Formats: sequence, structure tokens, C-alpha cells
Amino acid sequence: MFRDTTYQDFSRERAIDQAAELVMDEESFRAFYDRTARGIWAYLVRVTGDRTLAEDLLQEAFYRFLRAGAAYESESHRRNSLYRIASNLAVDARRRSLVRAASVAGDEIEHVAGGQDAAATERSTDVTRALAQMKPRERAMLWLAYAEGASHREIADTLGLAPGSLKPLLFRARRKLAGLLGRRQA
Amino acid sequence: MKPLDCKFESEVLAAVMEARWPERAEPELRAHVSSCAICAEVAAVGTALETERETLRTEAVVPDGGLVWWRAQMRARREAAKMAGRPITAAQVLALASAAGLAGACFGATSAWFQEALGRIAADVHALPVQQLLAEHGVAAAAAGAVLLLVPAAVVLAILRD
Repeated sequence: MFRDTTYQDFSRERAIDQAAELVMDEESFRAFYDRTARGIWAYLVRVTGDRTLAEDLLQEAFYRFLRAGAAYESESHRRNSLYRIASNLAVDARRRSLVRAASVAGDEIEHVAGGQDAAATERSTDVTRALAQMKPRERAMLWLAYAEGASHREIADTLGLAPGSLKPLLFRARRKLAGLLGRRQA
Repeated sequence: MKPLDCKFESEVLAAVMEARWPERAEPELRAHVSSCAICAEVAAVGTALETERETLRTEAVVPDGGLVWWRAQMRARREAAKMAGRPITAAQVLALASAAGLAGACFGATSAWFQEALGRIAADVHALPVQQLLAEHGVAAAAAGAVLLLVPAAVVLAILRD
């Protein structure tokens, strides 16, 4: 009886260990995290407009990435998957009304105001305000294209868009942001 | 129809991302940008977002990778243990339901009082004006039936999602 119970406990523990397995070992994960965490955080800050939420989503994104059980072919494949997870989390958070849309600009501008020289602060505030007037999907598209240098295919894949529809969407979003930035600088 | 892109777009963006724009960019590229609305937008938006990205990356306070790893491991184990416990719970519920059914069947088969009461109820039900009742209260009965079916289904779905 005692031996049976011990064996059952042991096999249950082993099953839990197997089910709890992560897709990377700790060393590889830490190296990957160091290369990508700041970029993902910046992306989430710009898409959600909320730094605290961005930090929560960052940890959730890495957790889901580790638990995805996918076989990644390359660094860029891993990176794209991570951005896709982060994008989906940002969309879910917005659906759950965790993002206070009305205060997007306000929160960010408060953060921007501290640190750096006056010109850099003003420039950053302009970008923050201009982005706050755009739709979350437009912000995500522009950030991936012009801050992360992602290809059209990667952006479409990350945001779940049809590759053919990306070019006109990106064109319109870019024109809108350029207009908003131009108006602020004028 | 206005063009949506320009063949020099990627060169402009590369110059921006490599911090060559505008001072260290090729003069031909600068001349092109001054006459191309699309490339001018790419340069303006690219410069603004690239600068913003650099600023945010230096400001970023992200948790240590080791801590994120440790938390992920703990959470994965917790979730795996919860999942491993589910089949046991389901088996226990099934066993309890079977035992209750068996006990009910034994009681029904052996109790004369129960069989007599059951016969009376069956006779009463048989005598009921079912068609008239359905015509008068059919909608309410259907609604009650739907609630009885939907509420447990919603509870099960909520538990499974959790």
C-alpha cells in the first residue's frame, strides 16, 4: 500500500514535470529575454499607452511564449512569435477595458516630462500625443514597420492581417501620423 | 490612381534606422526625398518613431530575466498540477453520481411505499389536460426548461475556462 502510494505520487510528479516543461532552458531564455524584453516593452507601451499594463503584459507574453510548445526555426521566428503574442495580449487588454483610452496621452506625457533635455522631451511628447490620436492597430503597424523595421509579411503575421491588405493600411496610417506630426511641429 | 509606395522607401528607412539620415545619407537619396511625398513621409515618421524607440529602450525598467524565468516555472508547475488533478475530480464526480443512481434504483425496486406513490403520480399526470396546459403556459415552461439547461452549461463553461 505504502509503496503503491509512493509510486503514484512519483508518477504524478513526473507527469506534472513533463506538463510544466518550458520551450527553452534557463540560459537560452535569459539571453533571448535580454535581447528582446526592452523592445517588447517599448512596443507594448506605445500600443497600450500604459506603462504599468505594458510591464504586466510583457511578463504574460514571455510566459505564453515559453509555454507555447512550438519549435522555433530561427531567432527571427522566435521574435515574431513573441510580438504576435504581445499584440494579441494588447488587443485582449483593450477589449477588457484595461486600457484607459481617454488617459493614454495624459499618462504617457507625465512620464515623458521627467528626464532628458527640453528638446527631446518636447519631441517625445509630440510623438506620444500624435500616436494617442491613432487607432491601436495603426500604432502597432507603424511601430513594427518604422521602429522595429519589420517586413510587411512579418507585420501581417504579427497582427493577423492579410498580407495584401497591409500596404494600403500602412500607407494611410503613415500619412495620418505624418500629418499629425507636421501639424504639431508647424 | 496614386502610388502607395516608392522603390526608394526601404533605402530611406535603412538610412533612418542606421542613424545616417539626413546628414550622412547619399546626396542622391536626399534629393529624391525632397521631391517624393512618400519618401518624405517615411523619413519623417521613421525618424520620429526610431528616436522614440531609442528613448523608450533607455527608459525601460523590465524585470530581471531570471525572475521572469522563475515565475514562469512556478506558474507552469501550478497549472500542470491543477490540470493533473482534473481527471481525478471528474472520476470522483462520476463515481458519486453512479453510487447515488444505484442507491436510488435499489430503493425504488424494494420500497412498496415508493412504488405506490409513483403509481399515484403517474395516474395524476395521465389525467392532466396536457394540451390545455401547454397552450396556456407553454412559453413559460419552455423558458424554464431553457434556463434549467443553460445555467448548468454556463457554469460548466465558466469553470472550464477558468
